[in-house]
Amino acid sequence: MNATEAKTILLLYRPGTADAEDPQFAEALALANSDSELARWLEAHLAQQQALRAKFKQIAPPAGLKEQIISEHAAARRARAAWRLLGGGVTALLLLLGMPAVLWHRPSPVENTLAIYQSQMARIALGPYGMDLMTNAVVPLRAYLARQHAPADLNLPPPLQQVALTGCAVRQWQGATVSLVCFRTGRPLPPGKTSDLWLFVVDGAAITNAPATGSRQIARVNRLMTATWTDGGQLYFLGIDGQEAEIRQYL
Amino acid sequence: MPDNAEFESLVERFYAPLYQFAFSLTRAEADACDLTQQTFAIWAAKGHQLRDASKVKTWLFTTLHREFLDSRRRQTRFPHVELETTEAELPTVAPLSISGLDTSHVLNALARVDGVFQAPVALFYLQDHSYNEIAEMLGVPLGTVKSRLARGIAQLQQLLARDIAAGQLRTDL
Repeated sequence: MNATEAKTILLLYRPGTADAEDPQFAEALALANSDSELARWLEAHLAQQQALRAKFKQIAPPAGLKEQIISEHAAARRARAAWRLLGGGVTALLLLLGMPAVLWHRPSPVENTLAIYQSQMARIALGPYGMDLMTNAVVPLRAYLARQHAPADLNLPPPLQQVALTGCAVRQWQGATVSLVCFRTGRPLPPGKTSDLWLFVVDGAAITNAPATGSRQIARVNRLMTATWTDGGQLYFLGIDGQEAEIRQYL
Repeated sequence: MPDNAEFESLVERFYAPLYQFAFSLTRAEADACDLTQQTFAIWAAKGHQLRDASKVKTWLFTTLHREFLDSRRRQTRFPHVELETTEAELPTVAPLSISGLDTSHVLNALARVDGVFQAPVALFYLQDHSYNEIAEMLGVPLGTVKSRLARGIAQLQQLLARDIAAGQLRTDL
């Protein structure tokens, strides 16, 4: 092995790993011990690689990601268990009684937990959604939502009432109608975006574990910093692509 | 479907490195979160089919990478290139000052590296895997992984050096 071949091999050498046990690396490292030019090259190369490696290791998962993965799994397990119960007992009985049509009109499985609702609404906000109505006026916005039989009687915190509206949309979630109200806070917007603050409102009864009236939950969901609360029987879910201090200023 | 305790233990061990890999590939937090969540969702549905428990880590990274490729709908087929054929092309490593760069600069440069090299280079720098594991995750022979790494690392260094020379990046030079 000459120095050029050793460099080719040592290009992939990672100190502190099992690489050193590889005979090829071991041979190249031995050569570096006896070749001062190669040793200098290796030292500079490893320092550079370590610096690059540190940049990759700086990538940190957002707070709440682990909890969200776990809560969605738990919800899915409960849903499966419920379906299994239905499948094994009630469904068989209904089929026996000749009522298969009833099944077609049953609501979808019990995946109506707060965590799943928050996760799915956050994805809507961050995704390429379209607004049904673009307006910065509250009266036509409420009227539109009312016509769609979506939550329209919104009780917004005073700071949120000061934020410019951009429009609204209506979505269906587990058989419930959700109002999506979009705002623009005045921060620079990413290309193609018209809003940077989103409020989802749904009948609180649609969520199995909606927070009690008076309590307010602040949590990161996906990339959004969010606040969730219940008021007047309706569940409010407000999200912004930012930090906790930013969401709190609208509450 | 695994029970909650087993699943939580798995998430605890692997969600951070999986997210780091996903973010290295996508450079977008939302996409990286989606990929990480999707990977665990697939594990919950299909993980019981894995017979060798020691392969869980490889299985998760393989799945995440496959989901990433699916999401990008990549159509290009990449040839396997053995290390021996690339030796003549391996560049001399130019001295760089990396310490002044942000992670985003490095990932932006990685995004400009040929697509076939990006995943192995990310896995190389995240340093959680042996070369055999990386080969298994990417579904290519060991020699191909090494040749892709050599070329990918060289490309990354050249791009960073070029950016620094062009004054596009803040450095400590």
